[in-house]
Amino acid sequence: MTAQMKLGAFLWATGHHIAAWRHPKAHVTAGVDIDHYVQLARAAEAAKFDMIFCEDAAGLREANIGIASQTSRSIGFEPISLLSALAVQTSRIGLVSTASTSYNEPYGLARTFLSLDHLSSGRAGWNLVTSASPIEAANFGSTGLKPHADRYERAREFAEVVTGLWHGKASGHDGQSFSVRDPLDLPRSPQGAPVMVQAGASDVGRDLAARTADVVFTAAQTFDEAKAFYDDLKGRMAAYGREPDDIKIMPGVSPVVAETEAEARDKHEELQELIPDDVGVALLSSYLSISDLWRYPIDGPLPELPESEGMKSRQALVVEQSRRDGLSIRQLARHFAGARGHWRIVGTAAQVADELQARFEGGAADGFNVMPSYFPGELDAFATLVVPELRRRGLFRKDYEGRTLRDHLGLKRPV
Amino acid sequence: MHLAISLNIAAATGETVLDFSRISKFVRQAEAAGVDMIVSSDTADGPSSSPFEATTLLAALATVTDRIGLVASASTLAHQPYNLARRFASLDIISHGRIGWHATMAQDSREAANFSRPEGFSDTDFRRRAEEYIGIVRGLWQGWDADALLFDKTGGRFHDPEKMHLLDHKGEFFSVRGPLNVARSPQDTPVLVLSGLSEPDLDIAARNADVILLESGSAESAKIRFDDLRRRATAAGRDPDAMRVLTNISFAPDDTRAATADRLESQFRTRSCDGFNIQVRCSMLDEFTDLVLPVLRQRGLVREGYRGTTLRSHLGLAGGGDR
Repeated sequence: MTAQMKLGAFLWATGHHIAAWRHPKAHVTAGVDIDHYVQLARAAEAAKFDMIFCEDAAGLREANIGIASQTSRSIGFEPISLLSALAVQTSRIGLVSTASTSYNEPYGLARTFLSLDHLSSGRAGWNLVTSASPIEAANFGSTGLKPHADRYERAREFAEVVTGLWHGKASGHDGQSFSVRDPLDLPRSPQGAPVMVQAGASDVGRDLAARTADVVFTAAQTFDEAKAFYDDLKGRMAAYGREPDDIKIMPGVSPVVAETEAEARDKHEELQELIPDDVGVALLSSYLSISDLWRYPIDGPLPELPESEGMKSRQALVVEQSRRDGLSIRQLARHFAGARGHWRIVGTAAQVADELQARFEGGAADGFNVMPSYFPGELDAFATLVVPELRRRGLFRKDYEGRTLRDHLGLKRPV
Repeated sequence: MHLAISLNIAAATGETVLDFSRISKFVRQAEAAGVDMIVSSDTADGPSSSPFEATTLLAALATVTDRIGLVASASTLAHQPYNLARRFASLDIISHGRIGWHATMAQDSREAANFSRPEGFSDTDFRRRAEEYIGIVRGLWQGWDADALLFDKTGGRFHDPEKMHLLDHKGEFFSVRGPLNVARSPQDTPVLVLSGLSEPDLDIAARNADVILLESGSAESAKIRFDDLRRRATAAGRDPDAMRVLTNISFAPDDTRAATADRLESQFRTRSCDGFNIQVRCSMLDEFTDLVLPVLRQRGLVREGYRGTTLRSHLGLAGGGDR
């Protein structure tokens, strides 16, 4: 059998497109409707996705309240409670949630995810993030965001304590940021340990991933960027005594798919037109960590930018895109708002499958984290159009091979 | 009278480990019996035999029950207030308004040791910190007005910014700007349950708690404590009927049903509490629901079934949503 790609279903609010909630077919009350999420999870499971993936932030997404009120992202379920509910309403699909190393303690986080792992009989995963948002920092007594390097040093210690607890290693940790006396008071994970996911693409982020991650979620627009990241990360693993196959690299992809290319383009354009200019510019500003982007002419080019303490790698990606394509601020804002700097494909199932296949077989990805533009329609479109096409090409499973998330991903079970 | 069933998820020595199907069977049985709520412990005194942490367990239980209130213990040492407020607000939406947060006023040295606080807090610091913490959580739960979400697709207005409120808390132990990124609870706010009260905690409980759990004692001492708590609530400017005081009581299999019912009836009729938190082994729940409860119902002491859908409504507390 040829190698098969891994697929995540990234569930977020009303959809990954910033104006998704305004689409006539989007489920606008998603953030307060648990039944909607049960249906999404079951749909993803029926399509045999490896996992559903939830991101998280401990605060609003947007500091400007007027802007925030024009998006659907200010309220939603807290993901660990959401996935715990979904754990007993599904039976096979993996359940991965983001949680921050800056605003949690390792003992509590290790215990919570292990509980989710028991509720789901071995289907849980943790996506480690260090939290780059000053909005979140203000909810945790911090007067300012910690520098990038300090956040990663804390994250490294955090990850070490969590994996130690999951692996049932001898207890007792007294470190720079944390002290933990006892082993966990829960039995060992049904899959050895929950799956560890990471997303940071900076240099220290890559080292941390090479050392500890099972799955890496990343943003890459072009094949060359994706390939460079893939080779770099896999190349770092030997230093930590790991095999390249011990990490699955899954870039985000935001497909807009329809029966014909023209329909797909219309569908995409319909969403783009629902983006208010001030919302698009604000979203772009927050990813670039600059507050005064609105001062520049919206039809002019992106100004020169200082390097920020926020999302370094994302920022570089956005700036490079703008320069390469000669985009105005409005064009970049709209382009970016749709997929948040992730890779977007608009076309037929065959066209989408061609692109995914090229990256998968070209050694630039082990799979993809699928980011539907609105829910439930675009998840269903991917499941009913693209998944069967991938199966015809032998690139995706017809049924689950095992029971746990580690089984689905083909990951070793830790001893 | 109001009835809670205590769910000790760590199996007692000699019992088999409680898997999810056994726990959900237990809770559904309590629901069929019409009790107001179950109160799930989190950590055990000794090594736990439970595979679950209480808030994650509650989320799962919420999807397999419809009416019963679900209360989980969560420590003020183990979570940041913003994260705890978010978890419980989210649970409350998952359960359609049936959630309570059980906070203990007693510091657990084991938690301090595992949550990077090896020295712990002094009793007075722990107490001041806990009250500040509770105030933050309750404030965050009220950050969105009940009618804040507009869902106006054509007008492009998802929510009304005037109806979202920052907390802007700056206190001795915490500073939290808010607002919460979870919508308002279907029952206004999750129910706050306090226990582990020592003498200096009584005013804090009388000011804040929706439900207070007290250890059982003699009928006389229970009456004195109940009256004292109600007096303190009045002194704090609260309606004493806006809180419920439940006495912990353990139910042993060798008690006869009449004797148990008599004991509960007499404590209730002398107004020494609003009801009971029944501590019963998983395997013994039948004896309580099938033998004791019908007697209490015959005597008109316990309501038949549920009238509303939220925990506040079961408890007869304000803000029940559908009272």
